Amino acid sequence: MGVLKADIDQLRKWRENNERKSRETLDIWLDRLWLNIDSLGNEKYLILEQVCIAALDCHVLSVAKTCIENLYKEFPNSLRVKKLEAMHFEANEDFDNALDILNAIIKVDESNSAARKRKVAVFKAQGRIVDAIKELTEYLKIFMADVDAWQELSELYISENDFGKAAFCVEELILHNPHNHLLHQRYADIKYTQGGVENLELAKSYYSQALKMNPKNMRALYGLYLTASSLSTSSKSTTQKKKEATKIVEWSLKQIKNKYADADVMVSALAALEI
Amino acid sequence: MAGDLIVDSEIRVWVFLPIVIITFLVGIVRHYVSMLLASQKKIETQQLKDSQMILRSRILRENARYIPKNAFLIRRQAFNKEEDGYLTQKRPAVTQNMMTDPSMMTDMVKGNLTNVLPMIIIGGWINWMFSGFITTKVPFPLTLRFKSMLQRGIELSHLDASWVSSASWYFLNVFGLRSIYTLVLGENNAADQSRQMQDQMSGAAMAMPQDPKIAFKAEWEALEIVDHQWALADVDNKLFGEEKVKTD
Repeated sequence: MGVLKADIDQLRKWRENNERKSRETLDIWLDRLWLNIDSLGNEKYLILEQVCIAALDCHVLSVAKTCIENLYKEFPNSLRVKKLEAMHFEANEDFDNALDILNAIIKVDESNSAARKRKVAVFKAQGRIVDAIKELTEYLKIFMADVDAWQELSELYISENDFGKAAFCVEELILHNPHNHLLHQRYADIKYTQGGVENLELAKSYYSQALKMNPKNMRALYGLYLTASSLSTSSKSTTQKKKEATKIVEWSLKQIKNKYADADVMVSALAALEI
Repeated sequence: MAGDLIVDSEIRVWVFLPIVIITFLVGIVRHYVSMLLASQKKIETQQLKDSQMILRSRILRENARYIPKNAFLIRRQAFNKEEDGYLTQKRPAVTQNMMTDPSMMTDMVKGNLTNVLPMIIIGGWINWMFSGFITTKVPFPLTLRFKSMLQRGIELSHLDASWVSSASWYFLNVFGLRSIYTLVLGENNAADQSRQMQDQMSGAAMAMPQDPKIAFKAEWEALEIVDHQWALADVDNKLFGEEKVKTD
């Protein structure tokens, strides 16, 4: 009984902290919990839901199926269980059925954000990126403050090489979380890829900002070096700008060299190879 | 003087404890009745959209300096455009359809059914059933001002103020059982009358669906006057500036 309680507590902790830990969750379930399904107390259905998602993550569909069946017995009309069923179909690559269920959920409850997000996931899994983008923009028209959705949209746009729109999404991310150096670096990446003097100038600023926030950001340092060197050779920029850019090139190159000298690359590389 | 008044132990058994038990049980029953009657509130998509919009515009105002000027202007234009910006759009007034909305009315009736009615009925019954008893004594001296609070139903001018009458004991229970309910029923239970009363007093205006127009107007105004200062304008020089100080 003591072990059971410890398991339940552990699962609750993961659930409340939004830790996925699918493999561990599934192990706990298979080791002990599924035999004691009726002694889980009033958390039974929450645990079933958690285990179901974990099982889908690990592609153990039989466990997911039992969880869904158990949940259906208790809540025959629940949209939340329907969503799980759709996810089960999705894991089975039965996308049409999954989409049917999701559409039904959205029809009943227009403000169901989870179902809309799943729909995007289905499109993405099918490789229908354009549809996914369309669906996600529809979603963002309602849930405009959903940071994760903006991030997903930016990645989808990048995969479609639509950098202008991706940049817009990352701007939105920066607005929501201005102290994350990775976002600044991402924005600079996009601007650098877009090219053109103006965008390169922006990229330079954002790489510098990312570096200022986290001096250890190697990618930003290297990006700064690349941006500055293409600025210094660009035919369109003025001599003054070129001079500045050259200075940055020198500085960043020195920084990179220093970093690698400090890090003692050979040792760590050998360690990584476990020779 | 305090020791000369001895309360019959029958009062403890037939008045003091029954009041505690009755108030407690009524609270439990209220909790379950309101759970039965509660209808799931459906969130309107439009409402959701509005609140998210306001959130987004607020964030734009606060963190505008981290995005380039162009990006900021695009957003402000989209929000504040004169004809069809989100914050300036025309909306039919909300207050009118609220009264005609039947679900709103049933919600209000249900609220009254579970909050006000039991309060009146049980309160009146307790007042009538157990009136005129001294039930207990608070273990510290109190000033005369407390007499009206603690000795409702007993008009004795010579009685020490720390004695509590039965009617007042009921009210003390109503307001004091909150933590017991949390213990028994868990957080956010509906048994607690005192919270309901607070809701009714302060929340009468809040419960009405807010007119988004007013919030939009305020947001529009605030957004209009934001002066965009790009935080990154001089960031590369700052980066080297720091470096210079370090190397020197």
